[in-house]
Amino acid sequence: MKVTLPNLGNLTSIAGKALFSNLGHEVILPPPNTKRTLDLGVRYAPEYCCLPLKIVLGNFIEALEKGADTIITVGGWGPCRFGYYSEIQRMILKSLGYKFEMISMEAPRGNLIRMLNYINRLRDKRSLPSFIKALKLAWAKFGTIEELEKEALKARPRENIKGETSQVLKAGLSLIDNTNTIEEIEKIKQKTLCDFNEIIKTNKTKDVIKVKLVGEFYVALEPFVNHNIEEKLGYLGVEVERGVSARPWITSLLKFLRKDNIQEEIIEKAAKPYLAQSVGGEGQSTIGHIVLASEKGMDGAIQVIPFTCMPEVVAETINKKVSEDLDFPVLTLIYDEQTGEEGLVTRLDAFVDLLKMKKPERHPIKR
Amino acid sequence: MGNLKIGIPQALLYYEYFPLWKNFLEGLDAEVLISGPTTKEILDLGVKSAISEICFPVKVFYGHVMSLKDRVDYLFVPRMVCVEKSAYFCPKFLGLPDMIKSSLSSLPPLIEPTIDIRKSATNFKNSFLAVGKLFTNNSKKIYQSFHEAQRNLKLYLKSKENELDQKIISQQYNKKLPQRDLKNSLNIAILGHSYLIYDYFINLNLISKLKKAKVNVLTAEMVKKREIKRQLKKLNKPLFWTLSKKALGSAFYFLEKKVDGIIHLTSFECGEDSIIGEIIHQESQKYPSVAYTEFVFDEHTGEIGIDTRTEAFLDMIVRRKRYESNFA
Repeated sequence: MKVTLPNLGNLTSIAGKALFSNLGHEVILPPPNTKRTLDLGVRYAPEYCCLPLKIVLGNFIEALEKGADTIITVGGWGPCRFGYYSEIQRMILKSLGYKFEMISMEAPRGNLIRMLNYINRLRDKRSLPSFIKALKLAWAKFGTIEELEKEALKARPRENIKGETSQVLKAGLSLIDNTNTIEEIEKIKQKTLCDFNEIIKTNKTKDVIKVKLVGEFYVALEPFVNHNIEEKLGYLGVEVERGVSARPWITSLLKFLRKDNIQEEIIEKAAKPYLAQSVGGEGQSTIGHIVLASEKGMDGAIQVIPFTCMPEVVAETINKKVSEDLDFPVLTLIYDEQTGEEGLVTRLDAFVDLLKMKKPERHPIKR
Repeated sequence: MGNLKIGIPQALLYYEYFPLWKNFLEGLDAEVLISGPTTKEILDLGVKSAISEICFPVKVFYGHVMSLKDRVDYLFVPRMVCVEKSAYFCPKFLGLPDMIKSSLSSLPPLIEPTIDIRKSATNFKNSFLAVGKLFTNNSKKIYQSFHEAQRNLKLYLKSKENELDQKIISQQYNKKLPQRDLKNSLNIAILGHSYLIYDYFINLNLISKLKKAKVNVLTAEMVKKREIKRQLKKLNKPLFWTLSKKALGSAFYFLEKKVDGIIHLTSFECGEDSIIGEIIHQESQKYPSVAYTEFVFDEHTGEIGIDTRTEAFLDMIVRRKRYESNFA
């Protein structure tokens, strides 16, 4: 099988690739997201669907052009539209005449056999232990990538030479990409963390602005889509804390196996006074994260959402009230295919300026 | 207790459930005040008070709430989450009371029962009974009022079902139609959310315009439930929205019955419709004899634009039928 995956930051291009190539499949990754990816997606996707669908559709088209024959993606069961996206993409691609098979990973609602069948096919006659080993390795890579990226967010506002952090991160990630043992991943991780620490040490006392990045999963995690917002904020001297990360998201997909998730419960509890009901996607946790960030004494929050996103629009409406009640600045950035870089930069600049001005007010003692 | 005034905004799920809500509340001796049909003022109020990114129907709902809020003691805004297995309402319905509360000020208290049968099979009933407790302690009265209301809802749905003239659909395409009658025998299905189809202000009187043009208007309510269920089996993956299931199932049904045309009414930024619109479009490719079009409504939709498109759509169908019957 020539397998392909949608682009999602470094996660699928490193961890996803590792998983499927270790299972003995040829992995054909879509080329990095470009204007063409977006254009292809916009051309063939329904107009009012959100940006993630369009970009991922573009990814699939570009990967199929490169010769992939099996698409691996994720699905769900609502109420967010995302759950049906794999099916819509399959229909659109079929109508465009591509020949491929789509394997959508989702909770096996009433169709356990199909799920097991998929897993069996992906396992490709490998023994169960080696299947589990591949899974474990990919999971380790997955976790390490997220951890390093998160640490880089702390280092970036404190670096002396612009771009230093990103270089360290890039070097670390490419090493991870090329290793194949868990021990080695751990070593690389430690070394990269040390490098980050060096950077942080030089400016340890620097009082940076702390911002929580919340919002829709794909837009928050895919740098092409959010115009590299984390790096941009870092260069503005802002320490970004991610409210969205992929690992708990995957474990929550496996909710049917395990129900206890303390972190999630805390977030849900924080959101309850404002949004009593989960609205699908990240809607409720967006509110929860903002409330928690304000309690933690952070300076502000940025909500990134794709245009027409159903759950996040609910959250956006409620954010206004949360922001007012807690006197906590929240900037909502809505992305679509027409989002321009300069407009975004201006808004980020202005928001960060506002936070800087507000900071003495929030922490009167430090002054 | 004196008669409490309860306001029900005539928007969104009102069009699906109003016999139930109204009769239930009235059975409890409450005075029910309905905001009435959408007007220009209501629409303007809604557009002003809701955030600009939200979908058009929710803006309309905001308008209805605004027009009611100073005239009532309570607002009835149920949170409809789930009324059937494996299907939900749209995320915006799930968060509706919270959105209203957080963006509108000086609201009367909201009555917001959460209806979610995932919690328990009797949740639908129980949440209504809990609402009843607000008005009276007489459980028997609450029960009676609920059952009466539910019966009314059933009657309402039935009466809509009967509007379907089975003959219209089956007659067609069996026989060639005489040419001069062409104009009188167009069957056009109007699909979409009930709050678009039955809100004549939003859809700019589309239905009466079609009827005036001697079109038989068919709607999703006229399709039998089991028929919808059967049609939905065509999907590769089951759909998980209650309202869209109805629209999509009936779209498949009308396609299979080869009506003359299908108009899918959708509104600006409707998330569900973006998906099912694509599915209907794809499916309609298999039935070349059925014309399909989509009308998008928002606060800027002009009457003339819709008139032109309706006329063009009808003309196209008439011309095509004439052309085809000439061949035959």
